[in-house]
Amino acid sequence: MKLSKIFKNGLIKDNPIFVQLIGMCSVLAVTTSAKNGLAMGLAVTGVLVGSNVVISLLRKVIPDKIRIPAFIVVIATFVTIVEMFMKAYAQDLYNELGIFIPLIVVNCIILARAEAFASKNNVLASAVDGLGMGLGYTMALLILGSLREILGAGSIFDKMLFGANFEPALIFIMPPGAFILLGILIAIFNNIRKKKESTTEA
Amino acid sequence: MNETLKLALILFLITAISATVLAVSNDITAPRIAEADALKDKQAKAEILPEGNEFKPLDESELNEIKNSNENVLEIFEGYDGENLVGYTIKTVVNGYGGEIEFMTGISTEGKITGIKILNHGETPGLGANATKTYFTESFRNKSVDGEITASKNPSGDLEVQALTSATRTTDAILDGVNTARKIYNERLAN
Repeated sequence: MKLSKIFKNGLIKDNPIFVQLIGMCSVLAVTTSAKNGLAMGLAVTGVLVGSNVVISLLRKVIPDKIRIPAFIVVIATFVTIVEMFMKAYAQDLYNELGIFIPLIVVNCIILARAEAFASKNNVLASAVDGLGMGLGYTMALLILGSLREILGAGSIFDKMLFGANFEPALIFIMPPGAFILLGILIAIFNNIRKKKESTTEA
Repeated sequence: MNETLKLALILFLITAISATVLAVSNDITAPRIAEADALKDKQAKAEILPEGNEFKPLDESELNEIKNSNENVLEIFEGYDGENLVGYTIKTVVNGYGGEIEFMTGISTEGKITGIKILNHGETPGLGANATKTYFTESFRNKSVDGEITASKNPSGDLEVQALTSATRTTDAILDGVNTARKIYNERLAN
């Protein structure tokens, strides 16, 4: 498969959040602001590319019987490194994302790509797949986080958008608002995607 | 070679290499983390007790006595302007909505709260996280230590501060910490 196709796959056709619907808990929890969504997305992308590359490098060495614990160790190592560096160089973000940083270890997207792709393909393809899926995830988080922040707090990346009289709809900062917006976004995304697919086939 | 042994060996190798990589990362980041924490602390003290130029830790035995009867106290520093004691900064940790909140309260020797500074928290952006905003922290300034500090939507008088909208747990947690600081000041530090 062409590298550009692999990349675009993660972004649109097989977008982990909007199409595959995996790795969702973190999506709902960290998108209370655009900044948090972006930070989480980049952290996950970093871990995904790293783990895909290492697992692809080791794919002939790891026996099938112990592949799951081996994958988890690799993933957990990358997440811990990301956690340490975030704590050292971006402490405010680290505090805001809180427990969801270590929870990246069990984010289904990472284990799914390790199992479905990295353990069966070469290093370059695996790296590109990690990048595509990670950026697809980041894009979803960025859109949802921005919407929730604009509607629920009247700001974007901490910049106030409307005047002091704007009363934000607090529900969008809270879980129900997250579910509602996510559902709408999934519907819109797949609608546009299906239309594009049918026009290219025609 | 016995198959189980081979599997165990490979797994051991992978985990051993991971552990090494992590140890190296820790060595690289640990000093930086400690530095960032220390700097943040220093800036916080200067911010909430502006008349203080030099800060010295409270006498160790006294601090330990205070810590024994108040488990959420972390640090107490005396603020000096030259030779004069001008106030105290008291660092406490409380249980907010999303985990622990670490913050500092400044109290002047005149018996007024000079300010609060949130250091670490895991509160929700747009709700409890507004505790770091100035409209909230400023409402603590110049409040008296003579009575219990409470929060209200429209604070008035010497003992009321701003309540955070839809973030009661966060507000209550911070009030808890400030009132602890206030009581410690009244009982042990004011003389």
